Amino acid sequence: MSNQAPAIEVKGLVKTFEGGRLRALDGMDIVVAPGEFVAVVGPSGCGKSTLLHLIAALDRADAGTIRVHGRDIASSGNLARYRAREVGLVFQLDNLLPTLSAGENVQVPMFEAELSAGQRRQRARELLALVDLTAKEKNRPAELSGGERQRVAIARALANEPAILLADEPTGRLDSESGRRVLDLIQQLRDQRGLTVVLVTHEADVASRADRIVRMLDGRAVPEEVPT
Amino acid sequence: MSFLALVLKNLFRQRVRTTLTVLGISIGITTVVALGVVTESLKASSGEILKLGGADFMVAQEGAADLSFSIISDRDAAALAERPDVARAEGALFHIVRVGSNPFFFLIGRRAEDLAANPPPLTAGTVWAPGASDQVVLGNRAAADLDATVGDAVTIEKREFKVVGIYRSGRLLEDGGAYAPIAIVAEMAGKSGVVTVVYITVKDGYDKKAVAEAIEQDFQNLATISDVEEYGKVDQGVQFLEAANLAISVLAVGIGAIGVMNTMIMSVFERTREIGILRAVGWSGNRILRMIIGESLFLCVVAAGIGAALGVLATRAILLIETIRNLLEPQYTVDIFIRALIVAVVVALAGAAYPAFRAVRLTPMEALRYE
Repeated sequence: MSNQAPAIEVKGLVKTFEGGRLRALDGMDIVVAPGEFVAVVGPSGCGKSTLLHLIAALDRADAGTIRVHGRDIASSGNLARYRAREVGLVFQLDNLLPTLSAGENVQVPMFEAELSAGQRRQRARELLALVDLTAKEKNRPAELSGGERQRVAIARALANEPAILLADEPTGRLDSESGRRVLDLIQQLRDQRGLTVVLVTHEADVASRADRIVRMLDGRAVPEEVPT
Repeated sequence: MSFLALVLKNLFRQRVRTTLTVLGISIGITTVVALGVVTESLKASSGEILKLGGADFMVAQEGAADLSFSIISDRDAAALAERPDVARAEGALFHIVRVGSNPFFFLIGRRAEDLAANPPPLTAGTVWAPGASDQVVLGNRAAADLDATVGDAVTIEKREFKVVGIYRSGRLLEDGGAYAPIAIVAEMAGKSGVVTVVYITVKDGYDKKAVAEAIEQDFQNLATISDVEEYGKVDQGVQFLEAANLAISVLAVGIGAIGVMNTMIMSVFERTREIGILRAVGWSGNRILRMIIGESLFLCVVAAGIGAALGVLATRAILLIETIRNLLEPQYTVDIFIRALIVAVVVALAGAAYPAFRAVRLTPMEALRYE
């Protein structure tokens, strides 16, 4: 690992729900280097998605710190700006806006980037080309296959050129061929753009695409292993 | 895609609901516009009366329910004329009667010498001579209605008058009426020894406003009107109408805001998860707020446009009634449409406030978990 600050550094992260009765994260630690592709695996309810949501600043932790490129995100005065610029998020469900076309969905995060409408349109086309969906720019989500929708979601996640891509079970609802294409794309983005990728999955073959696997159990990381 | 395009897409996803909401607000705006036009038109008609004498200002009885009920004694009229700051004080007696198809025939009693000194713009004939009794100078609209010309006889309240002149002032009430000797009008109206109003021309070198104030000071029962906005001093009708207009505007705002709030709350509830997605991809609370208020504003501004158009059509329809056509000339002033727009904007902001607050208050995860 190089001397530069980790892309993500999580320490002692605690998150509870239902008034403290449900402890989703219980002292979670994880460090991800810039450009690294890490898969977080574990059984259902072990806190994988919660970890991802906290790194994406969609929710607040009860305790612990999350540093992204050396900066504590809790001290960031503008979490919306952090979500818009620092991280790209891909959900298990594509979460595209149903009334907008593929191109328009990709443009949505760019409203926070002070780009003109023309610049937004141009960048969305480039991103759709990147995910091999140029021909589907005008199609609405309902007119796309599951795999295509997920690729649009990846293009949207890259809209503001974040350094980190967070993917929560991105292939969970896809057939194997579509899932493979999505994983190829993520790997290609990491290789070509140097993206740091944290991918949550419960599928071993998906995790095997990562540089490193972090296993979670009961809200904590268990010792790391290098995939063979 | 522009931000406005996004706002429009959100509105058009529920076309029926959006249309019904716009329609509901439009009806409120229609009422505001139509009543505004009627009020302004009445004020304009009142303004015409103010201009009749071609003087600096008009004096009438303070607090009269309607200007036609104003009574100023000949003694007060004479006292006004004798004031050192007054160059001319001309009394006029109004009598409104039904003549022909016009239920608001405006018969104006004036002295022959006053009429000769300050006649209406004659298109035919002349004014009557001093000492004349049953002679009138007819307005061109009245002449057309009665199919009368100079030399003809017309009957006004069972009394026959000879038409000695016809004028055209361009003022609705005046052109729909006639000038007759004041003594005859007093007899017809049963009002001897009084006039309705006195038109005052201030002597050179005196300040008009100061003279008006001095008259109000010296004659506690009289009010001076220099501008149509002061008309409420001597005509409660305009005041009542303005109060009704305000009340209806407030009601329109209240009812409209509830309608918009209902629409926007449903829209925000339905889109809670989508709002979560927007937050997740980096939209700030401020942008979400702008989106929801933008949707509400667009609804209401469209409704204002439709309501204003319907309001104009409604007043046009009202003017098909002959009685009203003789009384009012519609005044579509900018103020009326600005008021409609203000009502629409207030409705939009009031209606969007709670839904927008709710949307912004949700954390991204709360919104994303919403099913």
